[in-house]
This record gives sequence, C-alpha cells and structure tokens, in this order.
Amino acid sequence: MAASSTNFYDLYRHGSLGLSLTDALDELIGDERIDPQLAMKVLTQFDRIIAETLQEKVKARLTFKGSLDTYRFCDEVWTFLIRNVTFKLDNGGQMIQADKVKIVSCSSKRTDEK
Amino acid sequence: MSNASVGPVYDSIIQDVISAVRVDFEESGVDDGVLEDLKKRWQMKLSQLNVAQFPWDPKPEPQQSTPAPAAAQPAPAPVPNYNQAVSAQAAPPPLSLPNSHAQNPNGVAVKQEPGLVKAEPGIKQEPGSGSAGSAPIHPAYNPAAAARGTAAQRAAQALENQYGQRAAASINAIHNGMASQINPPPQAQQGQRPGQAPQHLSPQQQYRQGVVMQQRMQPQVPNAGAPNGLPAAQVDGPSDVVDHGLLQDADGSGPAGMNRHEIDNHLHALIAARAKQMEGGGLMLPLEQATSQRSLPAKKRMAAATAQFDGPDDDIKDEDLDEDAINSDLDDPDEDQEEDEDEDETMGHMMLCMYDKVQRVKNKWKCVLKDGVLTVNGKEYVFHKATGEYEW
Repeated sequence: MAASSTNFYDLYRHGSLGLSLTDALDELIGDERIDPQLAMKVLTQFDRIIAETLQEKVKARLTFKGSLDTYRFCDEVWTFLIRNVTFKLDNGGQMIQADKVKIVSCSSKRTDEK
Repeated sequence: MSNASVGPVYDSIIQDVISAVRVDFEESGVDDGVLEDLKKRWQMKLSQLNVAQFPWDPKPEPQQSTPAPAAAQPAPAPVPNYNQAVSAQAAPPPLSLPNSHAQNPNGVAVKQEPGLVKAEPGIKQEPGSGSAGSAPIHPAYNPAAAARGTAAQRAAQALENQYGQRAAASINAIHNGMASQINPPPQAQQGQRPGQAPQHLSPQQQYRQGVVMQQRMQPQVPNAGAPNGLPAAQVDGPSDVVDHGLLQDADGSGPAGMNRHEIDNHLHALIAARAKQMEGGGLMLPLEQATSQRSLPAKKRMAAATAQFDGPDDDIKDEDLDEDAINSDLDDPDEDQEEDEDEDETMGHMMLCMYDKVQRVKNKWKCVLKDGVLTVNGKEYVFHKATGEYEW
C-alpha cells in the first residue's frame, strides 16, 4: 500500500483542487491541529484518488488546436505552451478559446506499469 | 464534457480523500472534528476559486469556529512571551522572602490567562485582513487589564492580612515593595513605592517590568511607564526591536522567547545568507555538491512553509536559487526570463494531465492526453481523453 501510493504523480496538486487542499492543510498545520506528516499523508492519498477518479469516473473527451509556442520534455514530463488555443468539447460542440494554455503532462505509462 | 461535471467529480474526490485519510487521522490521534474541518475548509476554498458549481455550494455552510487566520496570529503572541519573561524574572527575588510571596507570581500568571483566552476569540473573528494586526490589540489587552486588576486586588488583600500578622513595619514595607513589583499594581501603589523597587530589582529588571506594563496597560494609563522614563504605552503592539534585545539577554531563553515574527526574520536572514554564499562559491563546487546544495533551499522552503503561517517566504526569489543551479552554456538567460513571464501569465490557463502519445512530424505535433484537468478562462473542465494538434 505504501509502495503503491507513492507511484502516483503529484502534478494534480497544482490544480485548483490540490491547491485548495494544500491551503486548508497549511492552515491546520499553522493552528497546530495536525502535524506536517499527516498533511503529507493526506496529499499522498489525494494524488492517488484524483488519478483514479479521473481515470474511472470521467468519460468526457475534448480536442484542441493551436500553435505551439514552447515545448519541453524533461524527466518524462511534457510541458507545452500553446497559443491561440481552441478547445472543442465532444458533446454539444461547445468551443472554448484561450490566448495561451500551459499543458503539463506526465507519462501515463508509469502508473499503468505498477 | 462540460463544466457541470466538474462539481460531482470533485465532490467525489473530496469524499474519497477524506474517508481514505480518516484512518491516518485516527492513528495520529487527531480528532475527527479536525478532519471535518479540513473538508469544510477544502470545499470553501474551492468554492472561492469559483471554477465550477459545486454540490455543496447551494446549501449554507455551517460556520465552524475558524481559528485565527495566519496573519492575525502574531499579534497576541508577544503577551505570553512577556508573561514567561516576567515570571522568570520575578521568581528569583522572592527566594529570600516568605513563601506566601513566592506564590504571587504564579497567581499573576494564572490570573492573566482568562484574559488571554478571552482575547483569542476576539481575534478569531477577524477576517484575516491586513488590519487584523493592529485592530485586535484593544480587545486583547482590555480583558488582560481587567484580570490583572482583580489579581492586584487579591494581592492587596493578602498583603493587608499579612500586615495584621506581622509586626515589623520595615519587613512589611519590603514585602509591599516586592509585591508591587511582582504584581503589576494599581498606579497609586507604585507611586507610593518608587524608591523601594531598585533595592530588589536591578534597573534592567525594572525596565523590563516597565515595558511589560506598558504593553498590558491601556494607553490611558501612561504613568505605568513614566517612572522608568519610557515612552507611553504603545497601541500598535510591542516594539519588535526592543523585544529582541530584551529577550536575548533576559535569561538566555533565546529562540523560545522570540516571537514568530523574529523567527521568520531570522530564518529569512539565514536563507538569504546561504543564497548569497552560493552565488560566489557555487561555480567552484563539484557537480554532486552543487546539485545537492541546489535542492537544499527547496527543502528549507518546505520546512519554513510548515513552520511559518503566512506561507513560504516570498522574498526568496526563484532567480536567486537559479543562480545556484548548474548553468549550462546552452542556457539563454533572456529566454529563461521570457519563459518565466509566459508561465506567470498562463497560471490561470493550465492543463494538468497524463500523456499517452506525443508525436511530431516536422513542425506538426499531435498528442493524445488523458485524465486531465483543464483550467481555462476561470472555469475548470475534466476530461478522460483529449487529442491536440498544433504547429510549432
């Protein structure tokens, strides 16, 4: 269990869900109601659960187009900075425009292997 | 896919995480209420980001007693510190005196606690704005002053009893003088015994007493500080500079006596010094050391983040740390800077996901992404699979 829980990426911590969780944990640590180790455990669980939930419960698809400004591949992590992006949602064909979007993407292989 | 599906998905994640860590909380002996509080705060913060409509949003959230936000806390901190300093300082003199007086300092410390406890809720109600630092001072000090008043009365009563019991007037006078030092007395009492005090307390101690009183007393009672020639009571809390010097040479209490603000400053100074040191020496270090040193500040920042309440120190800029990095000739500083700007600007537009495939043919890229969270235009979307095509 301990081994498997370390196999999930912590990249989702940078999303709104992760940031709000870390904020909340920081406050509790600040008030000395929990210790930092416990907070780390919570975040580890969060890494696992958000990855599993996104994998299992979300069925939505989307496509997007744009012009690639910057790309980077380091430590198995792709980072793209795309300008003038158009996202197209699969149902209803809703379009979303954005000047630029940063994509941070980890390899899906790693979690599958283990 | 739509923004509407985000709410239920996030809700399910929160529920799952909370139930998954319940065991960990129990094992750590942390109360279940804290876990519930964590959940509430998590949901509340998420709602504040306003990235989607969440299931918990419509129903009014029961406001739990939210303990003071980080910013508001440093204000009451100095008072306990001074209590410790006072009791530490006040304790030695009574050694030569009857036991009844030795108990007085304890009485003072205990008596003041209700005031302090009272003070906390007053601060808790603060929204945590910048003004919180100065505003709560009055409510915080008022109860303390009231509590001290009763303590002084009790002390006076006890003294009266002793006057009756003891015959020697001179001893009584000494006792009285001592008591007026140990128990912050009504002004009249101190006025009667200004000459007695120096016999028992060194000028430094007296000075400290004066400072303590200044902080406890209302601004309307300036004469507490006057005998020592000190400025009248401060409304904006204790002077940090004075604190530092006092507490350091008080009884070697050092860091324990420092308040949070000072510790922050101290840490910051240390880290800054280290960064500066690395600036000069980083290039000469072996590769392993350079890299291990590079990771040190990051760890330090994490530690600092947990230790201090207002988040990691913003003053430590990434640029400072980057100078420690192994700089390759290929690095173009201008490009780096430009990229940083880009990244800053795109903070609001971000996609976090896994990739299945990333392909490139000449300048055309194709990628297949999955399990992602997309934040764009202030709204959030989740997707199971995404395909992107773009040209470089």
